[in-house]
Amino acid sequence: MKRAFRRLGIKISDSWTNFINFFKVANTNTKASMSLMGLGQFMYRQVGRGIMYLGVEILGILFFAIYGFQWIVGLFTLGTVQGDPWTGKQGDNSVIFMLLGLMSVFLLILFIALYISNVRDANNTSKLVLKGEKPKKFKDDLKDLLDKKFYKTVLFLPLLGTIIFSVIPIVFMILVAFTNYGEPYIPPVLVDWVGLENFVQIFSLGEIGPTFFKILGWNILWAVATTLLNYVLGLLLAILLNKKIVKGKFFWRLFPILAYAIPGFITLTAFKFMFAQGGPINNMITSNGGSPIPFLTEDGTWWARFIGLMINAWLTIPSVMLLATGILSNINSDLYEAAKIDGAGSARQFKDITLPFVIFATTPTLITSFIGNFNNFGVFYFLRSTVTTEGYFVSNDTDLLINWLYRLSIDNQFYSIGAAISLIIFIITSSISLIIYIKSPAYKKEDTFR
Amino acid sequence: MKSKKLISTLLLSTLVIGLASCGGGDDPDDGGDGSVFDKFDGNLEVGATIKVVENDTAIKMGYLDELLDAFNEAYAEYNITAVDANQGEFADLPNSGPYGYGPDVIYQANDVLMGWVQDRHVTPLPVEKIEAYQSGVIPSAAQAAYQAEVGGVNYTFGVPLNIQSPLLYYRKDLLPADWETTWDDDQNGVPDMVENLVDLYEFSKIYHEQDNTKYGFEFSLNDFYFSSGYLFSYGAYLFGDNNRDDTDIGLHAGDARYGVQVLRQFAAEMSAACIDDSAKLAISGSMASGKYFSSVTTPDVRSVIVSTLATTYQSEKGLTLEEATALAEENVIGVPFPDLPANGDLINPSDEMIECKQMGGINGYAMSSYTKYPNASLAFINFATSYEMAKLREEFLQIAPARSDVSAESTELSKQLFDRVSNGSIVLMPSIKAIDQVWTPAGSFMGDVAADSNRGANAKYDTLDKIQAALEQLSQDIYDAIHLLDR
Repeated sequence: MKRAFRRLGIKISDSWTNFINFFKVANTNTKASMSLMGLGQFMYRQVGRGIMYLGVEILGILFFAIYGFQWIVGLFTLGTVQGDPWTGKQGDNSVIFMLLGLMSVFLLILFIALYISNVRDANNTSKLVLKGEKPKKFKDDLKDLLDKKFYKTVLFLPLLGTIIFSVIPIVFMILVAFTNYGEPYIPPVLVDWVGLENFVQIFSLGEIGPTFFKILGWNILWAVATTLLNYVLGLLLAILLNKKIVKGKFFWRLFPILAYAIPGFITLTAFKFMFAQGGPINNMITSNGGSPIPFLTEDGTWWARFIGLMINAWLTIPSVMLLATGILSNINSDLYEAAKIDGAGSARQFKDITLPFVIFATTPTLITSFIGNFNNFGVFYFLRSTVTTEGYFVSNDTDLLINWLYRLSIDNQFYSIGAAISLIIFIITSSISLIIYIKSPAYKKEDTFR
Repeated sequence: MKSKKLISTLLLSTLVIGLASCGGGDDPDDGGDGSVFDKFDGNLEVGATIKVVENDTAIKMGYLDELLDAFNEAYAEYNITAVDANQGEFADLPNSGPYGYGPDVIYQANDVLMGWVQDRHVTPLPVEKIEAYQSGVIPSAAQAAYQAEVGGVNYTFGVPLNIQSPLLYYRKDLLPADWETTWDDDQNGVPDMVENLVDLYEFSKIYHEQDNTKYGFEFSLNDFYFSSGYLFSYGAYLFGDNNRDDTDIGLHAGDARYGVQVLRQFAAEMSAACIDDSAKLAISGSMASGKYFSSVTTPDVRSVIVSTLATTYQSEKGLTLEEATALAEENVIGVPFPDLPANGDLINPSDEMIECKQMGGINGYAMSSYTKYPNASLAFINFATSYEMAKLREEFLQIAPARSDVSAESTELSKQLFDRVSNGSIVLMPSIKAIDQVWTPAGSFMGDVAADSNRGANAKYDTLDKIQAALEQLSQDIYDAIHLLDR
């Protein structure tokens, strides 16, 4: 820890020295851009760039003077005046304050990035001029955006969309984890920052800590088991349907595709009906003299877990099969011919040719499948959302973390606790995914199958 | 329903009450904080459009259209229009109201509406300006369902209109042919098996013995709205201080364990469908086919049972649809829950019987705190809860009215329900937010009780002590769900 801080200190000190050196050697035009965005560009007669940078500075200053600064202050205070809808008294909405504050911070970062870009641009132009070249014109910049820098043009909108629809909500969720947002602190009541209190509660408070670890254990077991099961069965099905001896491949492939094409919630509802206490399976058992099986009730922990695994296999295997079918068709048949000549049997061919190729090609898919299964909300929500189990805080023994998160956040309005759990889920899934990916052949031997 | 006379009377009474109360400064309900009621200054907002959230059945049966047409005609001179909010019957006021796109007026059950009080999403109403309150036709229990104390002041947040409660429904045509001599000991013309649970238990055994695919009484025990009454009958309660104190959970109070024992004993005579939602989902088909002689459900489901039974009659008896429907209407009978043995034992029952309580709710109108038209919205609530509209509503929807004047002219069952609310036999759903934490754990527990008869030697609830311990744990779990994260 000490070393890390020392390194950080050295880095900051180096950066400052570099900046001072840069300032010393920078020419007048660069320094002009440092003092007023776009001024250096104007001095190089780059009017288009100058107007753009100057416009950014004027708009930026206006925005932060009118809104941005107070929005950033609001991010820290989360509001100071509590409204009263009964009397019509307007108050501060902490959630809106948090969102606007967050947006302002992002805009501030963008403003600083543009400021640095403006200084760099002036500096680069000064270097060009020193070399005896002419400063670039605005129309050259536009041309570049359609040619050399076309990737920037194309990526601009997706990048903007990702920031607005992914990055900001994720950061918002992370911030919520450090507040008391949730019953009874829901606007119009003011929300406040509580530091790490939510995490402390999760790991230490009454039944919450034990429930978290019990659910986490089952969640990991579920994610590993269902990912492997679906992967292996999907692959085997694809290999089987890829065999020359299989007649009517189209016909056989149609069935899994049909299962895949039916919306998941319809399938889940149908399975829930089938395994209900008064459902057709128990009816068949009882009409043949047997006792009803508690498939999905409080007693049916392992039955329900097994049924969940099977239902998820039913829903997922077709997509794995389709993916594997495509990959199998890409394997060079010469490899099998050569293996045959060398005396390799079917098992050896599968182990040394098919499996490495398929694993190489599907590792990223396996990782996304693992994450998807780790956060598989639908299966147990549909099957057992009305059941609670003793010893589990507002949840049951088949709930995954995501189901518990839903119960806490939506059913019980403990938003901040839910956000803290989301953050923990994010850390777990991203760590596991990263480790698996780095250790996988898809990363280590990136060029093998090119 | 376009009677000008009716509209004029309504409009006049609304205005008279409104104007009469305008000058009154002695507001008994404002608790000294007049500002809460300042917005109700009696000046109707000309040109207002009031968005109304109504019950799906009322929309489907055409009642809402009648109500809106009548109101719009009555207030045409003020250019005030009421419209369907089109936000579904479970309008999400907390998430739509503060941002300006929520409804102005909402019809819902008291537990839903009052759940929004704590966060101030529904506004206190000036009861002195509401005809239903002023005329004294609302029983005090129903009034209490819409009252809450906020900041030390008692406010009223809604106007009761209907009573909703589950009932026991049975097939009259499946009664034994000689029931009047064999199953009517008190000779009151009502079959004993729908009057007390001990006889229903005995009848169920016989019914099942005659055909082992059939059951005399079956319902989803895991629906706590249906099963809670059995616990209440023996002294349990949900929250202390008349369901206002969420720090006092009383599902284990009194002899509540007897109620669990009664249900556990009866579950052994039901099919496995009583453990989860299966019985509830299959009720119309199962009652139509005779698989269930009786079951528990809410009155709005009766029409589905009747139409399914009518279809069965058509194919079995060759009747026309009208004849089959008339016969089905005659044969599907709803009654309050049968009485219970005082000792809570169906196998060795005591002679003394006690009335079976049942959970219920009071549906009514409340106003969003975010409405821009409080006076026009109040006029709408007044109009919609008037005698004439309440009567029309009852005719359209056949649900028990909460107004005594309408109830007095209603069916015998509606009168019974009204009386049961008044005397506390219908335990109204608590009007506090904490009720949300009750349904799932309590329902799950009752489902587990229903499953207990299949466990044999591993039974979890085969003694009263075990039941008591489990009920205490349930109360504790609910308390934890409400308070564990209190800051």
